Amino acid sequence: MIAAENLTKTFRDRKRGLVRAVSDVSFRCQPGEIFGLLGANGAGKTTTLRMLATLLEPTLGSATIAGYDVKLQPQEVRRSIGFLSGSTSLYGRLTAKEMIRYFGQLNGITGSKLQKRTDVLIEQLEIGEFQDGRCDKLSTGQKQRVSIARSIVHSPPVMVFDEPTSGLDVMTSQTIMSFIEQCRNEGLTVVFSTHIMSEVERLCDQVAIVHHGKIAAEGTVPELQSQTRESAMEKVFLKIVNELEAEDV
Amino acid sequence: MFNHSLSLVVFKKEILESIRDKRVILGVIISPLLVTPLLIGTILFFAGKKEMEKRQAVVDIGIVEQQPFPELSDWLDENETIDTSHFATREEASQAIQDRTIRAAVVISQGAQEQYRDNGSAALEILFNASNENSLNALGRTRDLLRQFDKFALKKRIQAVSLPESFASPTDIETTNLATSKSTGSLVLGMILPYFIVISAAFGGIQTAFDLCAGEKERGTMETLVVSPASRDEIVRGKLLTILLISLIASFCAITGILAPLAFGLELFKDIVGDQISFDFLSVFWMLLLVIPLALFTSSLLLVISSFARNQKEAQTYILPFISIVILPAILSSVIGAESSLYTAFVPVLNISVTMKQIFGNLFEPLYFAISLSTSLLYAFFAMRLATALFQREQILFRT
Repeated sequence: MIAAENLTKTFRDRKRGLVRAVSDVSFRCQPGEIFGLLGANGAGKTTTLRMLATLLEPTLGSATIAGYDVKLQPQEVRRSIGFLSGSTSLYGRLTAKEMIRYFGQLNGITGSKLQKRTDVLIEQLEIGEFQDGRCDKLSTGQKQRVSIARSIVHSPPVMVFDEPTSGLDVMTSQTIMSFIEQCRNEGLTVVFSTHIMSEVERLCDQVAIVHHGKIAAEGTVPELQSQTRESAMEKVFLKIVNELEAEDV
Repeated sequence: MFNHSLSLVVFKKEILESIRDKRVILGVIISPLLVTPLLIGTILFFAGKKEMEKRQAVVDIGIVEQQPFPELSDWLDENETIDTSHFATREEASQAIQDRTIRAAVVISQGAQEQYRDNGSAALEILFNASNENSLNALGRTRDLLRQFDKFALKKRIQAVSLPESFASPTDIETTNLATSKSTGSLVLGMILPYFIVISAAFGGIQTAFDLCAGEKERGTMETLVVSPASRDEIVRGKLLTILLISLIASFCAITGILAPLAFGLELFKDIVGDQISFDFLSVFWMLLLVIPLALFTSSLLLVISSFARNQKEAQTYILPFISIVILPAILSSVIGAESSLYTAFVPVLNISVTMKQIFGNLFEPLYFAISLSTSLLYAFFAMRLATALFQREQILFRT
């Protein structure tokens, strides 16, 4: 389970002074559920997910992942999550198989257990054909499959996806979307950020619309549609954001 | 709590990636082991050949007799190491030197013969062109010949007045060099080797260091790594160990690349250099050991730069202060002697270079060594802590 309570992140910028990138973000996500963070670029989605993944320390607030506190037990949190984003790359001079094994070892898997897990992932994700090819020589689709294997090598109970389809073609995006669905079906807790409305409609059980670092609205897709009396998710999003902008003015 | 096994996992992976990096292989192994020996070998070969030619060549010397002085001119004409030509005037001889038909000329002044016969000093002038290497060589040869003539003439004068030969030598000086030819050679090597070792240890790890942090940020793999259960400390230790090992390999290859051609080159030109330069492999071993704290210090500094930079290009721009920290003491070490004041043992890089010189010159001082070693390890520790601290800072780790 993921539980975020008033997560806040501020940082100092030379030009803008003290910037509140994320402000009082709270949400919960249960196992077998996909929680989506929908927002424009710079809304605070990545910062929120980075705090959950212990890459950034929250300035205020707290969060627990699979029962572990992100501030107090960062190592246990990282052992419990699989993190996949559009910007997480592979080591070009390692082969696909070495890449999976490396992250298995970093997660404390060794010996025959590592060998078995690597073989299973290679078969499941159809990596066998290019398992000994260096990552920098792989196609985008092949790289994405290796990235997936890398993120789940330690069988984490929680998956964090930060705009995972960013910059990918339709075919590769479908592979990722199917993988996210598979995670939910296997009972994993999934938190996922995007700015693509169709992905939200297809995947998310719960959605939070993030704007200027705050959660502007939260609910299921039908709830948000009913609340805004709009059917298309794009219009739902724009209406909520525009109303918020108007209030700010 | 430290988990060394994860540092080791990071280290093994970084080493695997480094040895697959052609730039590292070229810069750290191939270049010092093949290019440097080839370069030194070529220089040694041509320098030796040139020296041989210089010694064996018959030099064209002109003679201007403003008044006949057959005792000297005949003596010069008969010498087989020079080819003489006679000129009527000083101007003609000067022109011949400018035209390079002769390389130097001896001008015998008016009255030189009388002065010589009256037991005085015959006035002679040597013409040469200092801007021409062959002319300078001819000047040396002419001076040598005239010194030989002086000795010959002096001997005759002493015999004529029935004095013993020792009359012209009031003292009989003998010099005894207590150093073995080995330690003399070691002194020569001790002047140049520390410089090369320091430079190779410091610069051998640059490519790897920049690739390991700034390169990871640039390629987007840093996020992948730091989201793993490995702590930042473990990641830093694994990366630092990699840079250290690559730096040590670079030093080893650099030493081999310098010593191997010297060993062969000295054998080839033994008749020129004699056995004055030789090396003691035990000293080389000690130098390699000493390079460890030095490489640890420079590797940590490189990791600091690489952690701070957004990408490899930016890291290159921060390299100037690093070069100053390493190059200046390294240059100083080739200038200052092995018996330096104790305060130099506190200067990073310089202290290790001087200790290396002491080992090569059989001037090992345990106190100097102890201070050098402990201060170097202390500086390395601080640099390492700084690199780890930078790695902990979100603004630095995730700035792009």
